[in-house]
Amino acid sequence: MEKILEKRSLQSWVKKLDSWTIYAPRKDENGRWNYGIVQSDSVGLDFTVTTLPPKPLIFPQREVFLEFLKTAGENQETLEVKEVLPGEKPAVILGVRPCDARAISFLDQVFSGDFVDPYYWARRKKTILVGLACLTPPWENCFCLSAEGSPHSEDGLDILLTDLGDRYFVKTLTESGDRLVNEAKALFKEPRPEDKKKVKAVHAQAEQKIVRAIKGAKKDVAAKLKGMFNSPLWDEESMSCIRCGICTYLCPSCHCFDINDEVDSASPLRGKRVRTWDNCQFPDFTMHSSGHNPRPDKASRLRQRIFHKFQYFVEIYDETMCTGCGRCISLCPVGIDIINVLHKVNDHGS
Amino acid sequence: MAKIEDLKEEARKLLREGKIKYVIGYAGASNGWMACPIFIKKPEDVEKLVWDPTCVHNLSRFLVDEKRRKEREKQPDKRPVGVFVKGCDSRAIVVLLQEKFIERNDVYILGISCENGGVVDEHRLAGKLEGKKPKKVEVGNKGQFVVTTADGKAEFPVEELLAERCLECRASFPVISDILSGEKLKRTVEKPFGSVEKMEGMPKEEKWRFWKEQIDKCIRCYACRSVCPMCYCDECVVDSINLAVSADTTAEEKADKVKWIQRSAESSENFIYHFVRAIHLAGRCIDCGECKRSCPLDIPIRFLNKKLEKEAKELFGYDVGFDPAQPSLISSFRDDDPEDFIR
Repeated sequence: MEKILEKRSLQSWVKKLDSWTIYAPRKDENGRWNYGIVQSDSVGLDFTVTTLPPKPLIFPQREVFLEFLKTAGENQETLEVKEVLPGEKPAVILGVRPCDARAISFLDQVFSGDFVDPYYWARRKKTILVGLACLTPPWENCFCLSAEGSPHSEDGLDILLTDLGDRYFVKTLTESGDRLVNEAKALFKEPRPEDKKKVKAVHAQAEQKIVRAIKGAKKDVAAKLKGMFNSPLWDEESMSCIRCGICTYLCPSCHCFDINDEVDSASPLRGKRVRTWDNCQFPDFTMHSSGHNPRPDKASRLRQRIFHKFQYFVEIYDETMCTGCGRCISLCPVGIDIINVLHKVNDHGS
Repeated sequence: MAKIEDLKEEARKLLREGKIKYVIGYAGASNGWMACPIFIKKPEDVEKLVWDPTCVHNLSRFLVDEKRRKEREKQPDKRPVGVFVKGCDSRAIVVLLQEKFIERNDVYILGISCENGGVVDEHRLAGKLEGKKPKKVEVGNKGQFVVTTADGKAEFPVEELLAERCLECRASFPVISDILSGEKLKRTVEKPFGSVEKMEGMPKEEKWRFWKEQIDKCIRCYACRSVCPMCYCDECVVDSINLAVSADTTAEEKADKVKWIQRSAESSENFIYHFVRAIHLAGRCIDCGECKRSCPLDIPIRFLNKKLEKEAKELFGYDVGFDPAQPSLISSFRDDDPEDFIR
């Protein structure tokens, strides 16, 4: 459905949503935005880009899978194993940028298919995503359009809000979205024809304002990459890489993880099996237990990151695993720019 | 005033004559910040080099990569690499030499004096520009910073934009170099540990609250470790496979390896990580501030290191990174040490 919500009614709406934990962007003392739990009277949507995407609210950096306890009886040992499934209250994430929501739709694909991940879906099914269309690029490195998204993309969202000055144009996209609006029906009005016209206009204008772009279609990049595994480009491009995990940990679509046992006590043996984010830029990523690592240097790690996003993922899901949020560009401490890297891929051998 | 042209000419000459393998310097960036590291192999590319107060990076960190590269290659090119350094960065090279991690002829040092300036702090600059994007930052003829945005030029006194560590800098010009641009201006810093002293003055509970909140933000991306020229350990205690594993290591040996720290980014583990790193940098950190700058969540990691630099100074009269011949803090002792246990 399509509705209108006066901006001054935003907080009243949120107040009605007391069955959900509400997350929204908050600004810290250094001027950085990040999602946090908010009360209705402090909700606002006047933000740029959050340093961390909403990803960790659905796919947290640390997740307990199970707890184990081994006790020694007189004749035999017993091992108790208890599954731990996420049990948090349902949540609404308010103010999700369309690029970040699209990235969540990629995660949905990854955690489905042959192996449906119960931990991921326990949270995902209880999380409602309320997006905010970008009318001006929130920062200088946005390139969603050339990453096959758009500043008003609806992928992955339950509701898309568009700022029309004194009011939001509210478009619900799923049943969950409808439900959220129905919680405070009286606050939502029918849109006038001019509201609908204005939404179309501001969306079109927003597309014009995006400056940065990857030249070349995803198929071309993917095909080029196929023949570039042993290219010297990876050495050259990774010279200034410091091997930190910023590009990957702050990426809305990166999802590699590792599983470890965290032992709290040795006797009795008690502990937890946990999943934590993994990072292809780290020296122990894909380290074999023999000590051999097929990706021994930073060139092969940068290559892995590019190949996973623009080649392997395209082969499997027919999408590039990048939504053009620009975090890896803006936040790289040494200015490595994925757009430049991809342009060099495109120019390779031509 | 420091003129990069002299250094460029020298770099060009060295590359042309094949005396150095490549030059590590600064070039214009495309990501919104103005400078980024560049590696130049051909004399004709020297033109790309820039020098301005946005050249924040400590390029000596890449000497660690070069050493690793040489170790990996069967027939390594052993020529020195050229590297552009500011005063602080040069002190990092001094420590690398002192610890015999690199040798003096591994590196050709192109030094630049910051004179009365230094590098700008990203947040301070953003605060001044109120949403406008900086396109260029230069040093004006009176030593002030001149910032160009889409709206034109604006001038600011250096103190208002300098990184905190520059305000406490004790090496405004490189302490070691093969060629130097700019003057060796001695700066007097009234309170070289002023920012730490401010923090020391906090009541204990408040200090704990502050650090708990900061450390809890950590996502363990290890940018602070990765950007640090002193964090060159082959195996870091925080990596999930630490200590060398070879084909001969048995399954039992692997299972019995002590796991000092969990991968989970939780309070206790984050504290261990940051404290281990701080202790390992005691008497080694030269306060280039790169850890603080690189942190995507603005954890003021620099304070931890600065505190230990202060301890080294006060307890042992130790100044880090000025003299390559000086023994390192933790591998030296004095006969007149007041403590019994050391003798």
